[in-house]
Amino acid sequence: MTQVAPPRTADPILLAVMANRMESICREMMNTLLRSARSAVINQARDFSCSIVTADNELLASAEGLPVHVIGSEFLAEAMTELHADLADGDAYLHNDPYLGNTHSADHAILVPVFVDGQHVFTAVAKAHQADCGNALPSTYAPTAKDVYDEGAITFPCVRVQRDRRNIEDVVRMCRARIRVPEQWYGDFLAALGAARIAERRLKELCAQYGLDTVRALVAEWFDYSERRMTQAIRELPSGTLEGSSTHDPYPGLPDGIALKVTVRIDAEEGRVELDLRDNPDNYAGGLNESRACATANSIIGLFNSIDPDIPHNAGSFRRVNVLLREGCIAGIPRFPHSCSMATTNVADRLVCITQAAFAELGEGWGLAEGGMGMPPYMAVISGLDHRHGEMPYVNQVFIGSGGGPGGPSADGWPTYLIPVCASLVYKDSVEVDEQRYPIHVREQALIPDSEGAGRHRGGFGCRTVYGPKRNPVSVAWAVEAHHHPPRGVRGGLQGARADAWMIDSDGNRVDVDLVGSVELAPGEWIVSIASGGGGYGSPLERDPSLVLADVREGWISRERAGDVYGVVVADHDTTSPSVDEDATRRRRQELSERIKHP
Amino acid sequence: MAFQIAIDTGGTFTDVVLADSDGRFSLSKAPTTPSRIFEGIGSALTVAAQQRALSMSELLAATDVLIYATTRSTNAILTSTTARTALITTKGFRDTLTFREGGKLRPFDFGNPYPEPYIPRELTFEVDERISSEGEVLQPLDPDEVRGVLAQLREHGVQAVAVALLWSIENAAHEQLIGELIETELPGVPYTLSSRLNPIIREYRRTSSAAIDASLKPLMQSHLSEMQSDLRASGFDGELLLVTSFGGVLRLDDMAQRPLYSVNSGPAMAPVAGRVAAHPARNLVVCDTGGTSFDVSVVRDGEVQLTRETWLGPMFTGHITGLSSVAVKNVGAGGGSIAWIDSGGLLRVGPQSAGAEPGPACYGLGGTEPTVTDAAVALGYIDPGYFLGGRLNLDAAAAASAIERVVGEPLGLSLQRAAWAILAVANEHMVTAVRDITINQGIDPRDSVLVAGGGAAGLTMAKLAEELGSSSVLIPRTAAALSAMGGLYGDIVTEFTVSRRTHTGQFDFAGVGDALDSLDQQMDEFFGRMQIAPEAQVRDYVVEARYPYQVWELDVPLPARRFDDVSALVQAFHDTHERVFAVSEPGQRVECLTWKGRASVALPKPAPQRVASNGAGPRAARSRPAWWGADEPVASPVLEGEHLSAGVSVRGPAIVELPTTTVVVYPEWVLDVNEHGDFVMSRAVTAPAFTEEA
Repeated sequence: MTQVAPPRTADPILLAVMANRMESICREMMNTLLRSARSAVINQARDFSCSIVTADNELLASAEGLPVHVIGSEFLAEAMTELHADLADGDAYLHNDPYLGNTHSADHAILVPVFVDGQHVFTAVAKAHQADCGNALPSTYAPTAKDVYDEGAITFPCVRVQRDRRNIEDVVRMCRARIRVPEQWYGDFLAALGAARIAERRLKELCAQYGLDTVRALVAEWFDYSERRMTQAIRELPSGTLEGSSTHDPYPGLPDGIALKVTVRIDAEEGRVELDLRDNPDNYAGGLNESRACATANSIIGLFNSIDPDIPHNAGSFRRVNVLLREGCIAGIPRFPHSCSMATTNVADRLVCITQAAFAELGEGWGLAEGGMGMPPYMAVISGLDHRHGEMPYVNQVFIGSGGGPGGPSADGWPTYLIPVCASLVYKDSVEVDEQRYPIHVREQALIPDSEGAGRHRGGFGCRTVYGPKRNPVSVAWAVEAHHHPPRGVRGGLQGARADAWMIDSDGNRVDVDLVGSVELAPGEWIVSIASGGGGYGSPLERDPSLVLADVREGWISRERAGDVYGVVVADHDTTSPSVDEDATRRRRQELSERIKHP
Repeated sequence: MAFQIAIDTGGTFTDVVLADSDGRFSLSKAPTTPSRIFEGIGSALTVAAQQRALSMSELLAATDVLIYATTRSTNAILTSTTARTALITTKGFRDTLTFREGGKLRPFDFGNPYPEPYIPRELTFEVDERISSEGEVLQPLDPDEVRGVLAQLREHGVQAVAVALLWSIENAAHEQLIGELIETELPGVPYTLSSRLNPIIREYRRTSSAAIDASLKPLMQSHLSEMQSDLRASGFDGELLLVTSFGGVLRLDDMAQRPLYSVNSGPAMAPVAGRVAAHPARNLVVCDTGGTSFDVSVVRDGEVQLTRETWLGPMFTGHITGLSSVAVKNVGAGGGSIAWIDSGGLLRVGPQSAGAEPGPACYGLGGTEPTVTDAAVALGYIDPGYFLGGRLNLDAAAAASAIERVVGEPLGLSLQRAAWAILAVANEHMVTAVRDITINQGIDPRDSVLVAGGGAAGLTMAKLAEELGSSSVLIPRTAAALSAMGGLYGDIVTEFTVSRRTHTGQFDFAGVGDALDSLDQQMDEFFGRMQIAPEAQVRDYVVEARYPYQVWELDVPLPARRFDDVSALVQAFHDTHERVFAVSEPGQRVECLTWKGRASVALPKPAPQRVASNGAGPRAARSRPAWWGADEPVASPVLEGEHLSAGVSVRGPAIVELPTTTVVVYPEWVLDVNEHGDFVMSRAVTAPAFTEEA
């Protein structure tokens, strides 16, 4: 592949080819990282993302990457080009600094500048959530960290970690010295590096096949095309201003929770959307502050969740979106040294939900309800010593359950949603694989009947998970959200069931725990995790009765709830094959809708 | 004269390939008759027999081996017509089939409903038992509780039962006890134990395997015995073998016990045929293109590549089979894919398809949207008067007007440039499919030969090769029935699995020895049942291994059956990891989890057919204008494929017509006919694909 084609202008054929090829390269990166990584949060849960950014730091492609990771990878690349004037072929950079464009310290990004004919053309980015990042406490989430020093993560402000494709061992040694389970970290580092190097190889091949000038012209044309699609989509929205708000639960240091707000200004004629987050509280001395990357990404995610999913999600479509952030704001640009340890989840999840729910105000067919939020113990970071392998230490995040997804204009919420920023993309753990890897015993992982936010399209069901130690004590750290303020429905849809957590002691008694907390479980003790259900979309009285019946038959919804909330009366005469009593249902729905009108 | 017959019953057509002891092959085809499969098979066999001046019974009486591939089980799953099946599982884990493993394809898409579990929750029953990850019984199983559950199954009119308990791979006692109780309490109701069918870690995969298998037992057991007696009644006295998703064949009893092996078996045989046709090439990308779907599989270093991730329906939201089976990547792209312009002005092809009805605009059956077939007609590649050997007359004017209206005018392109663009974009979907599967299997398409099968094989295969950087394409003369052909070259092969976890830092030689002994025992029994002489028994051993903390394993062949040094195994793992993931970690220890024994018996294969050269060069009987990316047509020779003899070489641009497919020889490509009568296309000059004239 040495032949270089002559320069040319973009044509429709090559444009389609190029777009497919970029996505394909991202997928190849993801496959490499998933299959070869060591820590469960990456190789089981897929809490990572890969993207391709142009040399002038515009996000080009991200395939099925986690939106919270990939939107904003251009900030990472920007740090690399600004800090390193001697950028060279064969370099690689390690970046996890939320004050330089990263999401939060637990996400280590590997950046590889891709050079063609001596010119920097692309940057390949592989970002993965680490099992440990050297925090003061053995968890990658530090809700109570007063500042970055208290948080304790070792920070890499986009440092060079390879030159001439060889490790700069100083940096590797720093990580090994300061990160729990260093062997696992190094395996993950190799996996991310492998992913970025594969992208480098493929991008070079692509430029050799089509010629650098052609590729550049196509990239420019692809951004223009994406912008046209976005403009078109915004023109289909009604113009106007939407005010979305909701409250994050009370947390340590936040006795009243956080009242969050987004103002959405749609200018349909101009094809522009403005997302204004400036009217939000100031930074506080805790771990929930957003990083700039997260604040930007999560409001944009709420927007993209609300419009045609076929639109490419890249710098081209971003041109039609203006995100307004304020410095020193909890949902904006953080002021040093505030901690952004939880920037990818709590406020992030709320921003996604507020934005998509605000769009639902536009009318039938727009927006989404709120989805299950918070990290109850099903998403805890667990740690301890494994008696089966010579008291070997372990620490990692588990994913043994899921919050319920949001109801939407055309479908019910999914039961594999996890949380808004995961949006069903992150995998669930296999219980067997978890029990083999960690000395824990999982007693239950089951969807909770009647926990959905009812609606014409109902939310997904919440999930109950119960687990405990095998022999040695197990430390479990969690952060329940959506307990005081569960996921809301939209357009007449109802809220999902609240999240919760408690402990069961060795006598089988329920023991209350803090909603944000940690515990060392002794053998015989269990932690119980209740993940919230998703909110509903549209009135439950408009739900197709045959769908309500199907949920009753499957045991998802009780007959009582079917009658009381959905107004669907299930005939009782045959218990093995229930049916809808249509007359009674009509009457019941009439009655219920009167009651809503005249409470 | 002795015969071998391979039958492939698809959803619409039944293909029969007949091979005789002189190495002559013939293909015949008849519509599939779903209500009684043997009627369709009988019609196709009768046609095949007539070609040899025999009656069907005479043909069957002279047949030694008959290989049968069926989509019966796959179709039953897709149309939800399997048995009413219950699942018995561990208390607390009733929703395993609902959750699956999570994951979604399009991050911002909330428009699709979440799919139902394979077995409804209504028919999923929990029993209060628990085995630990180390195999100890934490909560013993109470037989009376099981009897109570089985009584409920009886009330529900259940026809089959799947049993999948947590950690049955470490200790199968509870599953076995439930199996015994089913036999006494629900006599005659078929059941599947997950630990017996597919003893792999990951509860969703193992449960899904058991659920699908159990649900197929009533249907497949009666179908197979009916098939057997119909064949016997028609005079067949040879050996009946059934094609599996593993790319091999099994005897009827083995298949009836594990009908899951028949699921997705059709596409599994294409690479087996490809491997024979492309001999001695070692790395192949095998593409089977029909009217609505494009299946890709891969042969690396002479081995058909396998995967543990075969989904019925879409990845993440379909149902996983959980079995180790031939890796097939499927995309909905074919002649019927519809071209359209999106709101940003970009040309798109598919995913909507015009199907067979109304079909492409040129079919004249009411279709108005331009399709890939319409584009091929507009470019002059398909002769409107000779489509499917002249069985359907195409309306070229309708094709042209659809393309101009939908694509040409909005993009300001001439008819032929628009048609060229449609083929190019359609081709890109196939490029993506090939890249996805070759990435997953760790091979480079540039070092591979593309083998094309299926009715639409020859249309854009050379362009696909160009985009992938491959310079060689093989189109077997029997391309239209590639899967059925594969049946003739399949061996009896099955795989046994034992879980035994250890690592090379402190290798458990005794435990692994036991695991391998257990595999040998199972293989002894398998071979013994078939009375296979020891010298004909082939045994291969593979371990699924990984670095510490990884959770996804790689298959590594064991260097020897018995070994007392793990260094060769460790090195083989590093090499495999480097090849697949571009990195390795020399010095790191390797975790070994699952040990697999592959038992195979080589079956007699038909001699490859040879086509003599008649010494004549290609005769360009006629020519017609065809377009190759420019506005001006080129008078392009049109050749009759069936009359091209070995040694003939055709330089592109040219079009080679066969009754079942059209092979397009693009400019800068050369088509040669090899000694078997197959078409080999190679690139004369390297050039970027689908470039337009400057």
